[in-house]
Amino acid sequence: MKACYLIAFAQSHSDFRLPELQSISEIHGFQIHLPKDPDTSRPFMVVELDEEEHAFILAQRCILIKSIYEFYARGTTYEEVHEMNRSNRHLWERYVPDTSFKFIVTGFNHTIPQRRQRDVIESFAYMDFRGKIDMKNPEITMVCFEEYESRPAPANGPPRKRCEDDGGFKEVFFGRLIVEGTARQLVGVFDVKKRAYFGNTSMEAEISLLMANQTLASPGKWIYDPFMGTGSMAYPTAHFGAVVFGSDIDGRQMRGKGKPPGVIRAATQYGIASRIIDLCTFDVTNNPWRCGELFDAIVTDPPYGVRAGAKRLGRKRELSEDKKALYLQHSQNPRSDDQPYIPPTKPYELSNLAGDLVLLARYLLRPGGRLVFFLPTVTDEYQEVDIHTMMCEGMEVIANSLQDFGSWGRRLITIRKIATQKFSPPSFQHVEEDAMDTHVPAHRDFREKYFQGFSRGQCNGDQAGTVST
Amino acid sequence: MVRLVTHNLLACHAKDCNTNNFPLVFQNVQLEIREAEFNSDFIRNFLPKIEWNALVKTAYELGDTSLPQDQPEMVDDEFLKNLHHVLFEIHIIEGGMVCPNCKHNYPISDGIPNMLLAEHEIA
Repeated sequence: MKACYLIAFAQSHSDFRLPELQSISEIHGFQIHLPKDPDTSRPFMVVELDEEEHAFILAQRCILIKSIYEFYARGTTYEEVHEMNRSNRHLWERYVPDTSFKFIVTGFNHTIPQRRQRDVIESFAYMDFRGKIDMKNPEITMVCFEEYESRPAPANGPPRKRCEDDGGFKEVFFGRLIVEGTARQLVGVFDVKKRAYFGNTSMEAEISLLMANQTLASPGKWIYDPFMGTGSMAYPTAHFGAVVFGSDIDGRQMRGKGKPPGVIRAATQYGIASRIIDLCTFDVTNNPWRCGELFDAIVTDPPYGVRAGAKRLGRKRELSEDKKALYLQHSQNPRSDDQPYIPPTKPYELSNLAGDLVLLARYLLRPGGRLVFFLPTVTDEYQEVDIHTMMCEGMEVIANSLQDFGSWGRRLITIRKIATQKFSPPSFQHVEEDAMDTHVPAHRDFREKYFQGFSRGQCNGDQAGTVST
Repeated sequence: MVRLVTHNLLACHAKDCNTNNFPLVFQNVQLEIREAEFNSDFIRNFLPKIEWNALVKTAYELGDTSLPQDQPEMVDDEFLKNLHHVLFEIHIIEGGMVCPNCKHNYPISDGIPNMLLAEHEIA
């Protein structure tokens, strides 16, 4: 039965809330009817669902959902709330005669004094619940949220008084608790600090879980990470049932020290080692894939040059003919005491990499498959059109969520392959184009901009550098 | 742990090596059998991507003869189980994969193949 539900979100990554809801509903094949102009910066949202069961599914899988309520009323004053609540009597009438209950009044961005909490509870007396009050094991829990604007304490001067502005809320929401979110605890399960193997480029658990949800990971899916590194994205995707293939130009990242390889050790810790199909060392611009349309999703955090720069095979400067001949002789007849041959690499500029990644995904994804990756950008310079510089025919951006670090940020981009025809593999060739007539995206030469402290603005470097790349 | 599913998807990609570059031939291999969870949907989805002759030939070379020479038209449970075993449960831990055409040897160590090309092999 179609009904309204109140979602309370966790207080982080507000830009990622809607894409996550939409992804999880897509995995399970149901609809979420969103409000007309959803304001995702707010911690509460009222949505319509066709079945109550869908609320349970969302709460089980969405990392950003704290809890879901059957929605009874909202209003900017308590008069409005009570009026709406009275008109929704049919929703809660069945709990009136004999249901044990608990009533919670709580504030967002605010602590409501006990005395007023009691007043609020008493103002709902007309509901006339006759069951007993049970604070430990109630049959139902009614919750009344007061949402306040965030009011940071003034930089100098006395701190705000505890009850200042009490009652000056933005809006009140009222409903009955249906389910607490259970996916958030995965953030602790996948905590990088407790992982058997990680590196300085490992992605924090919460974000990697959000990325896994964007890939629509579920049993039967095959997902590829072409910049595998220490495997941060592989663990949550495999946890959700998908199998994963990883490749990296530098095998040392995947291996670590000791045996078996580090990625396998961490996967074993999470009980998903058999879902890591294989790990492979190769340069994605010189890849050995025999055919395309293999994967249901590609998920990756490409190196963008702060902790680790992207590399591809080749040389920065061409060798002279003499040197080339010498080199060829050496590579074909290595001296026996030599270490294994390691081919030379050159830097891989970020905007080239991003464009290639979209083309590669178009080749390697099945129709309808998704590419999910992070793109760092300079906050002051970013424009919507930046994303379009890397797009190509047959691919469509479906989500673009910013994680803001001040002077820079990174955008989690989700792209869907809408085309059904076959595409040929990308050439990975880049000509130095004339910057005059094409748009230069803010992520071009991101590494250089980062280390110059984004000198165009007046930003301070201390905001940057706290997040792995 | 190169599995045969992976082996079936990788071709030699050295510059100008475009014919007879698949399947790569295993050499000096050290095998291990590890159980993997069976997912019939996954295998059914994957079936059209398989180069059947290459898979059967390689499985035979590694001593597994459970697959028929010709890809059966009817897919039954027993067939899927055998295919699952061949694709996902045979792991090559050490050894190499050699291109039948250009003879490039891609070494495997700790189950991770090194598919990097040398400088003169990239386009």
